[in-house]
Amino acid sequence: MAYPFQLGFQDASSPIMEELLHFHDHTLMIVFLISSLVLYIISLMLTTKLTHTSTMDAQEVETIWTILPAIILIMIALPSLRILYMMDEINNPSLTVKTMGHQWYWSYEYTDYEDLSFDSYMIPTSDLNPGDLRLLEVDNRVVLPMELPIRMLISSEDVLHSWAVPSLGLKTDAIPGRLNQATLISTRPGLFYGQCSEICGSNHSFMPIVLEMVPLKHFESWSLSMI
Amino acid sequence: MLSRAAWSFVLRTGGLGARGTHSPGDAARSEGRMPPYTNCYAQRSYPMPDEPFCTELTAEQRALKEKEKGSWTQLSPAEKVALYRLQYRESFAEMNRRSNEWKTVMGSVFFFFGFTALLIWWQRVYVFPEKPITLTDEWKARQLQRVLDMKGNPVQGLAARWDYEKKQWKK
Repeated sequence: MAYPFQLGFQDASSPIMEELLHFHDHTLMIVFLISSLVLYIISLMLTTKLTHTSTMDAQEVETIWTILPAIILIMIALPSLRILYMMDEINNPSLTVKTMGHQWYWSYEYTDYEDLSFDSYMIPTSDLNPGDLRLLEVDNRVVLPMELPIRMLISSEDVLHSWAVPSLGLKTDAIPGRLNQATLISTRPGLFYGQCSEICGSNHSFMPIVLEMVPLKHFESWSLSMI
Repeated sequence: MLSRAAWSFVLRTGGLGARGTHSPGDAARSEGRMPPYTNCYAQRSYPMPDEPFCTELTAEQRALKEKEKGSWTQLSPAEKVALYRLQYRESFAEMNRRSNEWKTVMGSVFFFFGFTALLIWWQRVYVFPEKPITLTDEWKARQLQRVLDMKGNPVQGLAARWDYEKKQWKK
C-alpha cells in the first residue's frame, strides 16, 4: 500500500509491474534530460543583453531538432509496445475469478469448482480496528493463491468502474455489458490494496479492493470455509 | 555566395528579401532596411531607427546639420552631442537605466502571499471539519507497526528501511 512521503510507485509485486517500473525510469530520465536542457536554454535566453533580429532561416538546426525528437520518441515507444504485448501473452491461468463493480462495492465470484460469491464493502472509518488503513479496508478480502497466474474477468452491473491494484500493475475498466480480462500474478504473499479508478458516483472514493495473497493450502482451506 | 546572386537575379526583390517579392515597394523606405517594429524611438534591440528624433529643426540646428556634411574632425564635442541628441531620443546609458519597479512588484507579491495566508487560516478555523481518528499519533504508530508486520513495500519502500533484527530504522 502507499506509505507517507512516498515519491514513486509502490514496490512491484508482479513481473509486469517490475517491467513498468524500469520503463518508467527510462522514460522519466529522458523527460528530465529534455526539461533540464530546455530550462537551461531559457535561462540563457533570459540572461543576455545581446539581441539578434535578422535570422531568416536555420536549416541545419531545424533538421536536427526534427530528427532527434523522432528518434527519442521511437526509443520510448519500442519498450512501451514490448510491455504492452507482454501483458497479452498466453500464461495458462490456474484459476478464474470474476469481479463485478457495483455502486458502491465490488462483488467476487469463484465459480471454477463450486459457486462461491461474496460482496466486498469498505469498512467505514468509525468501524475500523486500531491500526487499520482508513478508506482502504474491506469486510471481505479477495483471497487468492500467490505465485500462480490467475485470470480476472472484470465487468460491472451498473456504471463504469475500474478495478485497480497498483502494486501488481493492474488497472482494468469495469464496463457494463462487457467482459475485460486481466492476468494477476503475485510474487509475494501479503495484502495488496487498490481503489476504484473510474468515477462512478458519490461513493467512488469509498469502494476499495484488497487482495490477500496466501499460499495455495491456505487458499484451499479458505475457499472451503466460505462455501 | 554565387547561388545567392543567382537567386536574387531570379527573384528580383531588390535586396528586400522574401517580403520584397510581394510588396510593391514603399516610397518612404529606402532599400535594404528591415521594417521597424517601433516607429519612433531607438531601443536596445533596434538601435538604428529609420527616422531621426527631431525632424523640425531650428535655423541653428539646420546650420549644424550643414556643418555635419563636412569633416567631422571640425565638430566640437558639444556639437557632436547636439547632433546625437537631434538624431536619437536617449543615449544607451539612458535607455538601459535601471528602475525601482522590482520593489513594487515584490512588495505586491508578498502582500498577496500574506493575504492568502490569512484566508487559509480563517478557512482552517471556521470551515474545515474534524480530523479523522486515524491521524492521531497512537493510530499512526499502530498503522506503521501493522504495515511493517505485513512487510509492505519490502524492496525499496517502507519495510525495506526497517531493520527487522535490530527492530529499528536502518541507518
